[in-house]
Amino acid sequence: MAKEGLGLEITELRLGLPGDNYSESKKKKRVLSDMMTSSSVDTEDENGVVSSVEDNSSPVMKSQAVGWPPVCSYRRKKNNEELASKAIGYVKVSMDGLPYLRKVDLGSSNSYDNLATVLEDLFGCLGLGVANEGKKCEYIIIYEDKDRDWMLVGDVPWQMFKESCKRLRIVKRSDATGFGLS
Amino acid sequence: MNYFPDEVIEHVFDFIASHRDRNSISLVCKSWHKIERFSRKQVFIGNCYAINPERLIGRFPCLKSLTLKGKPHFADFNLVPYEWGGFVLPWIEALARSRVGLEELRLKRMVVTDESLELLSRSFANFKSLVLVSCEGFTTDGLASIAANCRHLRELDLQENEIDDHRGQWLNCFPDSCTTLTSLNFACLKGETNVAALERLVARSPNLKSLKLNRAVPLEALARLMSCAPQLLDLGVGSYENEPDPESFTKLMAAIKKCTSLRSLSGFLEVAPLCLPAFYPICQNLISLNLSYAAEIQGNHLIKLIQLCKRLQRLWILDSIGDKGLVVVADTCKELQELRVFPSDIHGEEDNNAAVTEVGLVAISAGCPKLHSILYFCKQMTNAALITVARNCPNFIRFRLCILEPHKPDHITSQSLDEGFGAIVQACKGLRRLSVSGLLNDQVFLYIGMYAEQLEMLSIAFAGDTDKGMLYVLNGCKKLRKLEIRDSPFGNAALLADVHKYETMRSLWMSSCEVTLGGCKRLAQNSPRLNVEIINENENNRMERNEEDEREKVDKLYLYRTVVGTRKDAPPYVRIL
Repeated sequence: MAKEGLGLEITELRLGLPGDNYSESKKKKRVLSDMMTSSSVDTEDENGVVSSVEDNSSPVMKSQAVGWPPVCSYRRKKNNEELASKAIGYVKVSMDGLPYLRKVDLGSSNSYDNLATVLEDLFGCLGLGVANEGKKCEYIIIYEDKDRDWMLVGDVPWQMFKESCKRLRIVKRSDATGFGLS
Repeated sequence: MNYFPDEVIEHVFDFIASHRDRNSISLVCKSWHKIERFSRKQVFIGNCYAINPERLIGRFPCLKSLTLKGKPHFADFNLVPYEWGGFVLPWIEALARSRVGLEELRLKRMVVTDESLELLSRSFANFKSLVLVSCEGFTTDGLASIAANCRHLRELDLQENEIDDHRGQWLNCFPDSCTTLTSLNFACLKGETNVAALERLVARSPNLKSLKLNRAVPLEALARLMSCAPQLLDLGVGSYENEPDPESFTKLMAAIKKCTSLRSLSGFLEVAPLCLPAFYPICQNLISLNLSYAAEIQGNHLIKLIQLCKRLQRLWILDSIGDKGLVVVADTCKELQELRVFPSDIHGEEDNNAAVTEVGLVAISAGCPKLHSILYFCKQMTNAALITVARNCPNFIRFRLCILEPHKPDHITSQSLDEGFGAIVQACKGLRRLSVSGLLNDQVFLYIGMYAEQLEMLSIAFAGDTDKGMLYVLNGCKKLRKLEIRDSPFGNAALLADVHKYETMRSLWMSSCEVTLGGCKRLAQNSPRLNVEIINENENNRMERNEEDEREKVDKLYLYRTVVGTRKDAPPYVRIL
């Protein structure tokens, strides 16, 4: 039985708003989804960290085409390296008075206590505590959040802290005014 | 001029440096052609496959300086597979064989191997200058050969190359007798640096004017280096991510203050912003500032720095500067000629309120009357802004606008940006290079064809409706040399309309367009002086199956004029018709 003449076209699934005629001429503009390829740029820095940021397909499909935006691959790799360390949860930690920075992996800690222990090990400083717990220690930990404000570590739930922490700093309690510590 | 002896004519020619002018001179008459040939010292080859080394040497046997470019521009964006070509070894071998007195070699987008660097270092006793830009294929071992064997080396400039860092001691390979360095740039090296060797090298190089360090050179070393080299004009800072202790900071400040000749600053690859004040004393002298790799320098730190740079002519920056930051630039940098604003968030991951928009661009155009070159990555644009920019800055030579989201319209009117770009080409009569983006119809290309009379290079992405767009450009832009197009609906009709046009150009690139294999074949048949290359890297099997299906669309087409026919070094997935 021929389909023509039965008016079944109306039941046909189409792309586009009702009333649009999805014709061949519209295919001329290649939709972004056509251009997504699996040969995305995998970068490995020296530590063997593979940046798979391009696989992160968000619903709003920006710049997923190969080689778009047109940033040269050298620059793109630098950018990927930055993102990779951010994505994995590495944040920089500095301690007042010390001439070097360390990086700590927030992703591998599961609680404030855990983080405090890790930092103690890194800097050889005993008794680091968070918020009001570490009253014995000369040092406290503060962090820079997404809004670039410096906050006391320990005030918000762990998960929220993990997501908003951009970097950490270990400061002398006596220097840390304005954080509401006694 | 015919009454003068050749030596006099040659002497006159010596004053003419531009290779275009020299090309013109050589066409005047046979005698001039001959004199020009033998007196030409610098040769520029924009496409290494347009000519071969034997013919180059045959024509210019006295050449001292050679510039070669290999891969097409879109190779920068990973659109050209690794082994496509652009190998420098055959050139070096030929030059070595023919005993050309090569002193300078400048390469861009070429494949360079340690073997070729070794050969280069041993073959030319007077070799002085090696500049490698966006090259790949070599390691620090190759650099060691150059350091060890080039006794008169003045310049080693490595810009944005992919170099395998073997963490060897290449800096140690400069002999103690090497004191002639004027320029050393190794910012793109990823590995550790022998800082002691570097300090000794800098200390024995009194003519060193340009020094660009990599990430591995820490702050304390920087202070010592600068103390040894107060004559520096151009400095690339490596890394000093640690917040400095007061003593190191003081030493750095003291060293920097002595560098009164410093005019150009770059690098800051990883930096704690608190170190920046050490540079404040010399900011007033700076004419060039490149902070495009300094993701850590933002906000107030950045603003404070820029406010001191009143003589800046060239600024490369990240879009984290924001519109507000660009207003500061517009207010401060009245001598600005070139601005590049790069995206800090390439993948669109963060909701980046700080990125730049049309507001920043308009501010710059209003505040900087000498601006002639711009590269601007932004989230959004409007026709009104572009029209204003065109009115403010009719002197643009290079205008490259990249709206991050393809097909994005004017964000206020939702119209295409044809009128905005049209205003740019109409006002900027000297425009030589243009990159367009955003939602664009064929109309914009009509404007470009009509008005962009000096246009030499045009980059098109995700634009146009029909073949007419491409035709407007090919018919209108008489001085067009390079045309590169991606993801646009141009097909065979446009490609084949005027085949001879391509012989007046260096090259044409078309990827993800509508051209078919059949169209490319017809083009190749009619053009013996063009190489028509089809690149289908993901489709190894396709070559056998659909080889003769002429309706198949071609992934990537790259064609270029050449006097030496088909090249022999293409990989299997490149088909040369």
